[in-house]
Amino acid sequence: MSSHGNEIAPSPSLETSDGKYRHLYVVMEHEDGNLLQVNFEMLGEARRLMDEFNIRYSSEEKVVAVLLGHEMRSQCDKLISYGADVVIYADNPEFKYHRNLVYTRVISQIALDKDCSAKISARYANEFQRPRFMFFSADDTGRHLSATVLAELDSGLASDINKLVIDDIELKHEHKTKGRMEKYNKTLEMYRPDFSGFLWTTILCLDNRHPDNRRDYHPQSCSIIPGVFSPIPSDSSRKGIIVDFAATLKPADLSVKILNRKVVKSPIDFDSHKVIVSFGRGINESPEENIALIDNLRRELDAEVGISLPISKKPYNISNSKLSAYITPERVIGTSGRKVAPSVYIAVGISGAMQHIAGMKEAEFVIAINPDTDSPIKDECDIFIKGRMEEILPILIEELKELKAIVEVRS
Amino acid sequence: MESSRLKVSVIIKLEPDFSEGNVSYNSDGTLNRAETKSILGPHSAVASMAALNAKILYNAEVSVGTMGPPIAEQALQQSQLICDADELHLYSDRIFAGADTLATAEVLRAGLDKMHDGAKSDIVFSGHRASDGETGQTGPQTAWKLGYTFFGNVIAFSVDLERRLARVTRLVPIQGLHDVIEELEAPLPIFITIHPSYKPVFTTVSQRLTFFKCQKEARDRSALYKDYLKTFTAQTLGVDPKLVGLPGSPTIVYRVEKIPRAKTSRMAEIVDGSNRDQIKAVAKKMTDMIKVK
Repeated sequence: MSSHGNEIAPSPSLETSDGKYRHLYVVMEHEDGNLLQVNFEMLGEARRLMDEFNIRYSSEEKVVAVLLGHEMRSQCDKLISYGADVVIYADNPEFKYHRNLVYTRVISQIALDKDCSAKISARYANEFQRPRFMFFSADDTGRHLSATVLAELDSGLASDINKLVIDDIELKHEHKTKGRMEKYNKTLEMYRPDFSGFLWTTILCLDNRHPDNRRDYHPQSCSIIPGVFSPIPSDSSRKGIIVDFAATLKPADLSVKILNRKVVKSPIDFDSHKVIVSFGRGINESPEENIALIDNLRRELDAEVGISLPISKKPYNISNSKLSAYITPERVIGTSGRKVAPSVYIAVGISGAMQHIAGMKEAEFVIAINPDTDSPIKDECDIFIKGRMEEILPILIEELKELKAIVEVRS
Repeated sequence: MESSRLKVSVIIKLEPDFSEGNVSYNSDGTLNRAETKSILGPHSAVASMAALNAKILYNAEVSVGTMGPPIAEQALQQSQLICDADELHLYSDRIFAGADTLATAEVLRAGLDKMHDGAKSDIVFSGHRASDGETGQTGPQTAWKLGYTFFGNVIAFSVDLERRLARVTRLVPIQGLHDVIEELEAPLPIFITIHPSYKPVFTTVSQRLTFFKCQKEARDRSALYKDYLKTFTAQTLGVDPKLVGLPGSPTIVYRVEKIPRAKTSRMAEIVDGSNRDQIKAVAKKMTDMIKVK
C-alpha cells in the first residue's frame, strides 16, 4: 500500500520529495441525495487554505470534492460554486445510501487513482501518488469513514478539528527525524479542542524520516467539526470540472444489505423550543435538587434542556429517572454536541468553555446564572445573574409564575 | 461442539473516572490526570454488556482485550464482571506508549488474532468512543486492519448462526436534519461499536436464568481474574515494533496550549442574585423575549 521499501532515501527537505503529494481532497456527505451543510463549510475552509497555499508556493494544487451517490450529478455544479475546482463523482445505485465498507473501498481507490489525478491537473499528473491533504466531516458517518479510509491508505488522521493552518515547520523528533532538526514544508497544523474544552492540541501528520524507519504518511487528514467553518459565498460563475469515476467493485464490497431504513425525529428538540435551559458542573453541590429546579424552570418556560460536555460523562448518581434522563450525550450543546439558536438561552452553572460557547453563541438572548464573575460565560451573555442557583432559581420560577398569572387574569 | 460456538471479542479501555468525587479538575478547567482515578470506560462497559447479551442468546465464548499499562488489568476485571469473559488479554509494552489511533489499532489487530486460541472472532465489540480521547477512530481502524465489516452506532444485533449472518440496527444522527434508524445484514465476521443507548435484551425465562447464572459466574471469575489473564508484549504478540507506539504513529502531538478566551461578544448586565426586584425584571425580560416571536 505505501510506497516505502527499497526506495533510495531522498534528501528530505528538497521540494522534489513532496511532489508525489498533490491537492486537497474533501469527502462529501449526503443524506438520501441531499448534500449536508458541512460539505460547504469544508469546501469554504479548503478554498481559503489552498488559495493561500498556491500563492505562497507558486503552485496550482486543487480543491477536489469527492462525491459518491446515485443520480446526484446535477449537484456537482453546486459544489463547484462553493469552492471545489474539481468534483470526482462516482455514481452507482449501490451508493444511494452510505455504507462504510463500499464507501471506504471507493474513496481509497479515488485517492490513489492516477487517471483521476491526471484529469484533476495535467501539470502534476506524472509525479502524483497520493493526495496531500484530505478532509472528512466529524459527524458519526464521517468519523467512521475517515478512520477506515486512513487505515486503508495507511496514513494519519486527526479528529474533531476546529482550526487549520498550513505552514513550513522545523522540528526535531526522536522517531520522526532521529532527533535531528528538520524542516517539514507544507505541513497541516490540525487544532483539536480536548474534551474539557479548555485545551487545544495541535496534531501533525508527518512522514517518518528516521533512517531506520522511513515511511510516507500522506495524505495528512482530519475530520472537521460541523458548524465551525464558514462556506464561501456561492458563485455560479465559478469554473470547475467534473470527473466521472467508475469504481471497481468486488462482490464482497457489496456484502452489506440494507434491509430497512427509516427517518426518525429525535425526542430532544432544540429547534422548535424558543427557550433552552442548560446546566453544567455548577450543579454539583446538590445535583439532584438542582436538576429538579432546572426541570421546574423548563416547565415554566416550555423550554428544552441542554447540558455541558462534562455533565454527559454522568458524574452524579441521580435516583429520579426523569431527571437522570437529562444526563445524556444527545443533550450536549457545543462543538461535541449540538449547535442551537433559541430566542433565550439560560446557562445555569456553566463556566463557558470555548467548546460550549461555539454551540450557543447564535442564541438571540443569553442569561447566565453563576456565582463567579470571572468565568468566561460572563463575556458571552446579555444578563449575568451573580449568585447561587439554589437561591436564584426558586425566585426566578416564582416570578415567572406570577407573570403568567397576571397574563391569565388579564385575558 | 465447542468449536462451533460463536466467538465474541471485546476491546475495552481504562479511562479517567469522570464521576464526582473521583474526577479532579485543575483550576483552569482542565483534567487533573494525576489526581483522577481510572476505571473501565463507560462506553467499554456498554460494549461488555453487548458481549454478555451474545453469551446469553447464543452461548458465545467471550474474550476481552485491552492495550495499556499493567494497571489496565483493573479494566479487564471490571469488564469480566459485566460479561463473564472466558479469557482476558492485556497488551502491555513500553514501546506501545504514545501510540496514535493507527498504531493502537495495529496492536489490537494482533491481539484479536491471538484470542480464542487463534481462531477468528465472529463478532468484535468496542465502545462508541473513549471518554478521554474521544476520537472514535480506534474501533473502525482495528476493524479495517482485521478485514472485518465495520458497523458503528449499533443499538441492536442478532445472529443467524446457521447462515453465519448478522443483523444490526444502527442509530445515525444526521447533522441538521434528523436521525436515521437502519437495519443491515452482513456475513460474519463483523466489528461493532456499540451506541451508548444500547440495552441488552433477554426476554424468555431461560434467557433470564442464563443471565443470573452468568452473573454469578462472572462474580466468581472476576474475583480470580488473574487466572483468566494473559499478558502480551510486542514480541509475544508478534507485532513489528516499527508499526506500533510512537515509531508506528503517523501523527504526533506538536503543541498543547490553552484555548484563548474568545473576544467578548456580548456586554453583560450584571444582576445581583440576592435582589428579588432585579430577578423579577429578568423574568419580565424573558417572557417579553419569548412573546415577541
